[in-house]
Amino acid sequence: MDLSIAQRESRLGWQLIAPSIGVIGLLIIYPILYNIYLSFFDVRLSGEKFFIGLANYERLLKDTAFYGSLLTTFIYLVGSIAGSTIVGLLVALLMNMRFPFRNIVRTIILLPYFAPVISVVFGWQFIFDPVNGIYNHLVVETFGLTDNRYNLIGDPETALLVVILFDTWKHFPISYLLIISKLQSINRDQYEAAAMDGCGPIGRFFHVTLPEIYFVLGTLVILRLIWNLNKFEEIFLLAPNVQTLPIFTYYTAFTGIIDQGFAASIAVVQFIILSFLIIFYVKKVLKW
Amino acid sequence: MASVKLNNIYKSFGDVEVLHDINLEVEEGAFVVLVGPSGCGKSTTLRLIAGLEDVTRGEVIINNRVVNMIEPHHRNIAMVFQNYALYPHKNVRENIIFGLKRAGATKELIKNRLEKASRILELRDMLDRKPAQLSGGQRQRVAMGRVLVRDADLFLFDEPLSNLDAKLRHQMRSEIRRIHREYRTTSIYVTHDQVEAMTLGDKVVVMRDGLIEQQGSPMEIYLKPNNIFVATFIGAPSMNMLDARLFPDFVLLEGQQIPLKKRIEKDHFLIPEKGRDIKLGIRPDFFRNEVFLDGETSMSRIEDVKVDLVEPLGFDIELDVKVGAQSFKARLDLRTSAKEGETINLCFDMDRAHFFDIETGKNLFLLPL
Amino acid sequence: MTNRRTIPQNLLLALAICAVLLFCLFPFVQILSTSLKHQIDWGNPSLIPIKVNLEAYKELLGIVKKEETQIPETIKRLLDNPLITEEKKEEILETYRSTSDVFPFLRYFLNSFLLSTSAASISLFLAVFGAYSFSRLRFKGRKIVQRGVLFVYMVGGVLLMVPLYQISVKIGLAKSIWGSLLSLLFIYIIQTLPVSLYMLGNYFRSIPYSIEEAAAMDGCSRLEAIYLIILPLSVPMLMTVFIYCFIIAWNEYLFASVFLRQFHDFYTIPLGLQSLFVSKNAIWDRIMSASMLTLLPVILCFTFAMRHLTGGLSEGGVKE
Repeated sequence: MDLSIAQRESRLGWQLIAPSIGVIGLLIIYPILYNIYLSFFDVRLSGEKFFIGLANYERLLKDTAFYGSLLTTFIYLVGSIAGSTIVGLLVALLMNMRFPFRNIVRTIILLPYFAPVISVVFGWQFIFDPVNGIYNHLVVETFGLTDNRYNLIGDPETALLVVILFDTWKHFPISYLLIISKLQSINRDQYEAAAMDGCGPIGRFFHVTLPEIYFVLGTLVILRLIWNLNKFEEIFLLAPNVQTLPIFTYYTAFTGIIDQGFAASIAVVQFIILSFLIIFYVKKVLKW
Repeated sequence: MASVKLNNIYKSFGDVEVLHDINLEVEEGAFVVLVGPSGCGKSTTLRLIAGLEDVTRGEVIINNRVVNMIEPHHRNIAMVFQNYALYPHKNVRENIIFGLKRAGATKELIKNRLEKASRILELRDMLDRKPAQLSGGQRQRVAMGRVLVRDADLFLFDEPLSNLDAKLRHQMRSEIRRIHREYRTTSIYVTHDQVEAMTLGDKVVVMRDGLIEQQGSPMEIYLKPNNIFVATFIGAPSMNMLDARLFPDFVLLEGQQIPLKKRIEKDHFLIPEKGRDIKLGIRPDFFRNEVFLDGETSMSRIEDVKVDLVEPLGFDIELDVKVGAQSFKARLDLRTSAKEGETINLCFDMDRAHFFDIETGKNLFLLPL
Repeated sequence: MTNRRTIPQNLLLALAICAVLLFCLFPFVQILSTSLKHQIDWGNPSLIPIKVNLEAYKELLGIVKKEETQIPETIKRLLDNPLITEEKKEEILETYRSTSDVFPFLRYFLNSFLLSTSAASISLFLAVFGAYSFSRLRFKGRKIVQRGVLFVYMVGGVLLMVPLYQISVKIGLAKSIWGSLLSLLFIYIIQTLPVSLYMLGNYFRSIPYSIEEAAAMDGCSRLEAIYLIILPLSVPMLMTVFIYCFIIAWNEYLFASVFLRQFHDFYTIPLGLQSLFVSKNAIWDRIMSASMLTLLPVILCFTFAMRHLTGGLSEGGVKE
């Protein structure tokens, strides 16, 4: 009975959060720091380490595969975010209207997001399979666009397009959800006022809808940038020859000539890029 | 049954001190009302007694025991919250008996208490409903039910009626009075509505800006306000405050000399040669129309009062009047035939008038300066 | 601007909706269709199988009996020995049966299920108390904790692949199967803990304080108020968070492949499916039926969760 109420609350607060902080500190913060540490070493799979200073980074800056990976990552980010955001926006605009069976449609469009990656990824591979897939059948036989069947996933450059399409398909629902909740909060009156002022549907979109959802769109883009930079399964399982940074790191760390120190340095570079994005998000969007 | 005492209570939130030296005594079985405008500290005081906030300095004493360090769930106090704070996932019955069950009461006891409370509060038909299915007034009664079934030493009420419409408020006021008569538990009630304060309390504590301006019985506060704030806060319509100048034998109001009943001696307070500027306070209901006085001569008189607006209220007539440049209100007898634009004479009992110091606002005759 | 639509506008709307539905559902339908087709049928663009083929499903679910391959003569003579019990004979026969064609779907499913459930439960447990703490209790450093949670949430797990592997090698966990499983469990917990803390923190912040104060007046200590009032009130959110964590662990491939590579029996579904795909058994109908089987439970969870995702359960308890 010797502690004040505020003090007791404080103590309970720390007690309840200690285990979580312990876990996070031990298994996230420590590894991140350890990763930075490891990047200055030549690390073997067995665990032996040899200190080599900045050699990993020097090698990184000269590595064309690394730059290729950066480019791939960049294209992937731009494509997937543009795709999922635009499709999400269009679907949101569509779902904002009334029509019969709207509730069923609303549930169906969330399916791609909730389906496990592993369950759908092979379906997608089948669709683009050169022998059996419907894509080739349509392109060559039905529409006659090209003469030969082509293995899109086999070629890293076209595989990138497939990956972007897949990401758009998988993640537009979350963009849709965020946008539509904002859309539905826009007052009817604003549209009516704009109509009175002479705006047709397109005008109303640009003058009423867009300004209102501007902030949501911005938030969405930044968040997706951060998430997509970390994506592994969606790309690796569909087309492992598309080497975005995480995939490139994985190959370096666990396949071929295993060099985990080098992989650590790639991860550090990724971490730096990610940190900038996070800080930007926190400062600009959350205004912390 | 508990007695409550607050000794030299100070409370700060961070750097801001919101309660300054609060001293209060609540007797066993009393119904005390803390009243004042928003932000005056009345809710904070209540929460200190409940134990929901820490005391910065001073002592909270319940039943002669200092309880500062005792946690709220050990203080055996029941509270009605302003926004009811019902447990949304429990039905009415479970909401009401939750506290009782926690205290380990027998099934018998729970059944009896629930029966009694739901009868008094007319909740018997709703015991299985959830809060979301109830109206505001019903939820309020459930919140009260929660309090009534407990064997608590002290009942605390935090503005329980402020979210109800006027009619319901009126009804619930009578209910609360009735309940207190029956249960006789020491109660502390917080409100910003001075009508509630005057009708419910055995003792009224008027607060402003973290200070107690005055405490006493409703009649005391009404008839003998300590200062301008209390005088204008209590009573509706509020007491008129007229600029006047005080002399030992009379009051000068808009050029009229109104004689005092008793000469003011030097040891009362100081009156300089040219008189002392004061605020003259007279309640609108203390005015009389000269016409209906039937020769009573003890009344003082204000002459040449111009009538601006006449509002018949059913039982009274309320007039907006003007003497010289000052406007004020008067409530007159139903029979008054004064019309807008007319000039009348108003009478009042000087004993019922108050003189307030212009600077400090204090009542010159009641408080030492 | 009227609310009525003209016929051409309605047509356009219908077309758009169909396009969206097609876009969403096509891959799923394709998976279902191929899983039911015979090999000759696979190249057929039509989604409807000429003849329905349930073999793949049967095999995956273990309904079909495995074929016996050639048993060497010496063993046959051994089996005729009456001194050997029936059980023993069965055992010996087992080893000669062709098992290389089978994808032990149920076992992988069980592995994934156990791992995901454990990780989600532990994560939820830690997160409930942690989130309650920084969202409702006042203590120094609370702001830092809140921001830290957000930061860690965003950093993601890919950055941890090297250090975590190195750490478990150093501790010696990566060698044994139980060590590897334990490492994987820890990894799933840390991948789901920040997001659980974040979601629950937001939710708890929306519960009005006065409900807890009322509980205090009713005689509950702080911890009792959490069990008796806050948790029951939060059940839908708790379920949502559990399901979210479960799905994250279920989907995970990267660390599973790193830690479980050598332990075939303990593969999780993503690992199992992937290895099936690159093995000699890459037969489309099996792959598609495996995909379908892994899809169903999640879809079930999803429909279940959707029904309970009503926010504002505090509605009715507190006057706004």
